[in-house]
Amino acid sequence: MERLAAQLGRAVQGKPVEVQRVVTCVVAGGHLLLEDMPGVGKTTLAEALARACALSFSRIQFTADLLPADILGAQVFHSQTATFSFRPGPLFRQLVLADELNRAPPRTQSALLEGMAQGQVSLDGETHPLPSPFTVVATQNPVDFSGTYPLPDSQLDRFLVRLSLGHPAPDVEARLLTTRGAASPLASVEAVTGPEELASLRDFAAEVKLDASVAEYVVRLARATREHGDLERGASTRAVLALGSAARAQALWEGRDFVTPGDVRTMLVPCWAHRVLLRSAVQGVSARDEAAHLVEELSRKVAAPR
Amino acid sequence: MKRPLRLRLVLRDLGAGAAFGAMAVSGQLPLWVLGVFLLSLVLALCDVRLVARHSRLSALLLVIAAVLLGLRLTSGAMNAVVAACAFAGLISAQRMLSTPDAPADGQTHLTGLLMVAGGAALSGDMTYALCLIAFGVLASLSLALGVVEAAVPDGEPVPVRSVLLPLSGGLTFAVAGAMAFFILFPRLNWAMVGPRSAPGFGAVSSAGFSDTVRLGGAGTIKSNPRVVLRATLTPDPGREELDAYWVGRTYDTFDGQEWTNVVGALRTERQITLRPASDTLLHQRVELLPAYGGRTLVALESPSRLGNAVALTPTGTRASTVQLHGGGEVRFTITAPAYTYEAYSLPPDAKAVTASGLRSEERDQLLALPEHLDPRVAQMAAQVLNGEKEPLAAARKLVSHLQRDYAYTLEQGGPQEDPLADFLFVRKAGHCEHFATALTVLLRTQGISARLATGFFGGARMDGGYLVRAGDAHAWTHVFVPGRGFVTVDATPPSHRTSQGSVLLEKLLALYEAVEGRWRQSVVDYSFRDQFELASKLVRPPRRPAEATSTSSRLPPARAWVTAAVVAFLVWRLGRIVARWPRRALRLEATRFLDRVDAQLARAQVQRLEGESLEDLTPRLAREGHPLALALTPLTRRYLEARFGGRALREGEAEHLLGTLRRALEAEAARRTAEPTGQAGPTARAS
Repeated sequence: MERLAAQLGRAVQGKPVEVQRVVTCVVAGGHLLLEDMPGVGKTTLAEALARACALSFSRIQFTADLLPADILGAQVFHSQTATFSFRPGPLFRQLVLADELNRAPPRTQSALLEGMAQGQVSLDGETHPLPSPFTVVATQNPVDFSGTYPLPDSQLDRFLVRLSLGHPAPDVEARLLTTRGAASPLASVEAVTGPEELASLRDFAAEVKLDASVAEYVVRLARATREHGDLERGASTRAVLALGSAARAQALWEGRDFVTPGDVRTMLVPCWAHRVLLRSAVQGVSARDEAAHLVEELSRKVAAPR
Repeated sequence: MKRPLRLRLVLRDLGAGAAFGAMAVSGQLPLWVLGVFLLSLVLALCDVRLVARHSRLSALLLVIAAVLLGLRLTSGAMNAVVAACAFAGLISAQRMLSTPDAPADGQTHLTGLLMVAGGAALSGDMTYALCLIAFGVLASLSLALGVVEAAVPDGEPVPVRSVLLPLSGGLTFAVAGAMAFFILFPRLNWAMVGPRSAPGFGAVSSAGFSDTVRLGGAGTIKSNPRVVLRATLTPDPGREELDAYWVGRTYDTFDGQEWTNVVGALRTERQITLRPASDTLLHQRVELLPAYGGRTLVALESPSRLGNAVALTPTGTRASTVQLHGGGEVRFTITAPAYTYEAYSLPPDAKAVTASGLRSEERDQLLALPEHLDPRVAQMAAQVLNGEKEPLAAARKLVSHLQRDYAYTLEQGGPQEDPLADFLFVRKAGHCEHFATALTVLLRTQGISARLATGFFGGARMDGGYLVRAGDAHAWTHVFVPGRGFVTVDATPPSHRTSQGSVLLEKLLALYEAVEGRWRQSVVDYSFRDQFELASKLVRPPRRPAEATSTSSRLPPARAWVTAAVVAFLVWRLGRIVARWPRRALRLEATRFLDRVDAQLARAQVQRLEGESLEDLTPRLAREGHPLALALTPLTRRYLEARFGGRALREGEAEHLLGTLRRALEAEAARRTAEPTGQAGPTARAS
């Protein structure tokens, strides 16, 4: 995991914490939602991830006229044999970068949603399994809302972790200017792991021990979000499960084979901030920060097991 | 050396006391052993450890005691089991008073175990069982506390409450389990719990029938509330107070001092018929308890048939034959602490029956007077009777005279030359034997045949039967009426016929006897047959018509299935609880460790953010380059492993980690006190 993080760190400099979260998310077997301004390295991060893990990669630029068939693939008629055959779309890759996800119409979004949730695609009554591991890294721009279709909550719930990279620190930016030059940052990223190794890493993560008291702690946190006055909707059961697996991956990152309450707290905001719905109707960055703030506050209020 | 926990020692000594009590309830230990042990127990409870200072002397005393007991044993004055028990008690007393270290603790518990085993050999009373349970509980608590105490480091308080709470739960389960085991486990031996006791503690044989009744004997017997006899009557009279005469035997010969019989043992049979009767008889099923202490069968006035006796001996039950003696006395031929038998008596209003059970020499004796009878007695009788010749009317006249002019007292006037004359003319007060003797002799002087009868008067309702107490012992007069036989006449004032113990004591004893009866029935006499009956009662409905049994299926009814399901569920829940127990205990240990770490950090005034746990604090300090992080990192890791990773702290590891932390904190404190002076320099220079 650390090697993976080191490779990603080469591509996205000055963001060790975010990089670590990305690795945790991938190890936990979840999908990642990057929410940030354009030009802070979202795409670079995704591509670096694909390279470092030696995963097949495709990038789908979501636009307002993108149709489900454009990402899923279509039945193609072969005139010689007079039969239809399935031509897989760009979704059939191990790592899919869904750029500007919120620009696509809901139909397309939900096609992606099914693929993310089920690991398979239904087309014309046939189901086609997606490759394994299958990870979606979606990005969206939280500032420019014109002409977008905000992701439905159910779809947000399917992303294990939401991150925002933010601008790099000034010194890192300066270093970028001086050192990078013309060479692509991705050129230096080497494949340090393969799909098989990633799969075994995920198995390891799944076997990390979650003590009953920690499980109860997670449930208490979920209840706290459900009963919170400023939240329209609290964490769902899926959110509880997601936090569990994210905390497991986090424990593995820390080199432990058991989850501590600290692991839970670490993954709490990335895991849950996008899953709760505020009562106030603000949108965008402020809503995101507000939710993150509320969830973090809960982590201090709910007593951790001792 | 660590100071031992006071509570543990008290529990240990009380446990030994309970074990000693298990032997003492048999009432067979010598009094001096009782005294020595009680004194040692009191001293030990007051934390006065005499032997710690005089260990040689005490060992010498023990040797002397051993020799003494050995001598008593060889001389035959003492039973080997009793001697061994007494010696075990003495060793236990010596161990209790010695320095409370680990060997002494172990030896005290061991002697306790020995004493309990000895108690089992001496008695199978309910009080023994109570002592046994008390010993088990107290000794277990003490031992568990000892284990915990050894694990807790010096200077730390022992978590008594948190240990005792789950332990008490465990002990409750253990006792319940033992009971379940007792009820359900097939009984291999009928006398498993122990022999039927010899007369228990305080149950000194008190109502025994001797061959004589001597005037001037002790009268304290009237206040003894021990139950000597338990009887079930058919048909049941249903009254609260039976107030009936239970006759044991009669006497016909009075020599001025004591009553005897002219006739000795007559015949031995399984059943003795005193008066053949065709009437409907009153059937009695009688149990004589150890407090009775005699061999004479008693039955309600007037007994017709007695027999079917079973002697409850220490080695088991045995059928006993009965022997007829003079005076209508029937005795068991086997000596045993307790008996059961059956008796049939004529109903009180039965038709006259001639005294056919009487022999000619006995009949002749009914008018005999003592040789040196005071002439005033005959004068007095003639004066009171005033020519009355009808036996019953004469007796009634004398009774009313005696009851009017004479007082009842249990006090004795000391040995007298002529106790009858002393009663009639000097003291004018006496107890039932005086009244009965006076009436009998007064009647005889006027040519009316009469004899003295002894036995019990009373019968208190208990559990559908009747109890008779030692204090109910009584004496009265049988007047011979030609054509009617013997008629009971009682000269004693009615209020003094039954026992005169305190009401509260009697109530308490009645309660005890009831529980004890239950104990006898359901524990001591609990056998494979009872188990079988219990099981069949569970399986079979109680009132199923006889013809239905042949047609119904052989499957157990739903009730059995429900019972089995309930039991299975309970066992499963229990298993779950037990399975979770050790893990919970480990967690608690890690949490306690965390509490101690937190306490140390708070004492050292380490700054913490609001709600910041140790897990968050350590990386923060590490990021800040705080010197404490070095000590805290391994400690935090071990805590998390122990608490959430299932890898418990090893013994002494917590202390080691805490010690490291303490040293780090001290170093940190020293650094901080040194710092201000170091900072003061540059600041001063800058200003």
